[in-house]
Amino acid sequence: MATEYETFVTTLADLKDGEEMELLIRDLENYESRKVKAIVSSSKEKLPDGDTLWIRFSRGLQHKDTWVIKITGELPLPFA
Amino acid sequence: MAFKDLREFIDKLEAEGELVRIKQEVDWNLEAGAIIRKCEETMDGPAPLFEKFKGYPEGYRLLGDPFSSGIKKFAIAAGLPLNMSHQDTYRALMDLWDEGLANMIKPRIVSTGPCKENILKGDEVNLYKLPALMLHDGDGGRYIGSLHTTVAKDPDSDWVNWGCYRQMIHNKNHLGGFVAPAQDMASIFGKFEVENKPMPFATAIGTDPIITAVSVSALPFGVSEADVAGGIRKEPIDLVKCETNDLYVPATAEVVLEGHVLPNVRMDEGPFGEYTGYRASPRAPRIVYRIDCITYRNDPILTAVVEGIPITTSHSACAITWAAGIRKALRDEGLPIIDVNIEPQAGLFIAVISTKTPYPGIAHRIASVAWGCKSGQFVPKLMVVDDDISPYNMNEVIHAFGSKCHPVRGTHTVPYAAGNPLIPYQNLEERLWAKGCRVLYDCTWPVDWPREIAVPPRSAFNSIYPKAIQEKVLANWKNYGFKK
Repeated sequence: MATEYETFVTTLADLKDGEEMELLIRDLENYESRKVKAIVSSSKEKLPDGDTLWIRFSRGLQHKDTWVIKITGELPLPFA
Repeated sequence: MAFKDLREFIDKLEAEGELVRIKQEVDWNLEAGAIIRKCEETMDGPAPLFEKFKGYPEGYRLLGDPFSSGIKKFAIAAGLPLNMSHQDTYRALMDLWDEGLANMIKPRIVSTGPCKENILKGDEVNLYKLPALMLHDGDGGRYIGSLHTTVAKDPDSDWVNWGCYRQMIHNKNHLGGFVAPAQDMASIFGKFEVENKPMPFATAIGTDPIITAVSVSALPFGVSEADVAGGIRKEPIDLVKCETNDLYVPATAEVVLEGHVLPNVRMDEGPFGEYTGYRASPRAPRIVYRIDCITYRNDPILTAVVEGIPITTSHSACAITWAAGIRKALRDEGLPIIDVNIEPQAGLFIAVISTKTPYPGIAHRIASVAWGCKSGQFVPKLMVVDDDISPYNMNEVIHAFGSKCHPVRGTHTVPYAAGNPLIPYQNLEERLWAKGCRVLYDCTWPVDWPREIAVPPRSAFNSIYPKAIQEKVLANWKNYGFKK
């Protein structure tokens, strides 16, 4: 099970720090897409049991800091 | 004699020293992409054939950008002599293109073919069984389709379109993809989507090189690439019916993905390092392909292009076929053009057209026709030069541009035009809406300038000296002490 994920954002404001939100992520083993409900945080201390979340901007540039993600549920992809 | 499949072409590339077999295990995650990119940037290097991928069985192979680094590999694909000049090779390839279009040969339907050696349907469908590459760091996903033929049929006619539209893996049986609004598959899919019907498609990966080239090209609306490929090959393409829809695919393809493009469904796709040399277009909601079946040859060979700065297959294939299309459109209009060149190094942004200038304003007429034809729609910058300039000689072209194009009177902008969302210099709003603009650089001497007093004589060896002096100097060149 992958413990590192990645998501794409237009700006960091797309991520609701400390709140549960819906987002599209991909694992970094196979790059498979998942839509999930998850709590995300910019601080590992605030979400100690979370997995690593890498962030990329819409043209692929990677944000210098990782966030943390705790997946709370799976959601159907748009084509499901 | 045309190649019957990709494997014959690979053998020929190897025999000509244009292929390197990489037997060492390579990671599909960026490492292979970086190797291909490095090859593409060497400009004259061989293509890599990867023979072992990390996490995949022996025999699952991938050919990296078979037409990068200029046109020699195209000449091999077309069966041309390899000792011709750059200019003559280009002209010969464009002539072959014209011949294929003028003498189309319909495909031949066969009952089966090597692409049916393995068939995965239903729950067996799993795109991750194939070593699709993570091509660039920061791409939206693994792209199984970066150099291939996607087949779609117009629902209102017999027209079957073959195109190369990038395809990214979402999960084991879905792909996402980008199709520009002005591309053929967008218009075909639009007819299905308006009725909320899925559009059957098939993607053939790893075909004979002529099929690859025509799939990347821009043919007139309604012309089937398969017929033109047959015309170029001078023999029909063998096609075999798909397992799960009514489309036909090249029987010798290495891998075939069958399925449907889902109507009124979009999912984030990209970003992707594109042929423009930049990742200009953002991740955005785009069409979704559902895969119903995968067929493939034993020991399949995928193909991949790592788009980016020139020269990739996209640059060389489009340079040749777009230039041929523009040349044909201009000739069909009776315009006295000499040559058309789209130099791959310019990333398909610039076409240079040489012409006679029998009347004022001919550069504008040339530009109107070039931009009005399908092959010229994505070339935003045109340079029109006099007939004493070779469009293939960049020293001459850049000198003509610098010395003959008046910064005001010779530069003609078209501020509003249909565009391309991938073009890097456009602002975000222009990219979002594919709004374009164009410019014509008229590098011809004005026809209304009196020849004797206004047109400066060209100070070049072959124009500023009497013929007798030129011949004397050339005849004595080595006697003067020069070695060549």
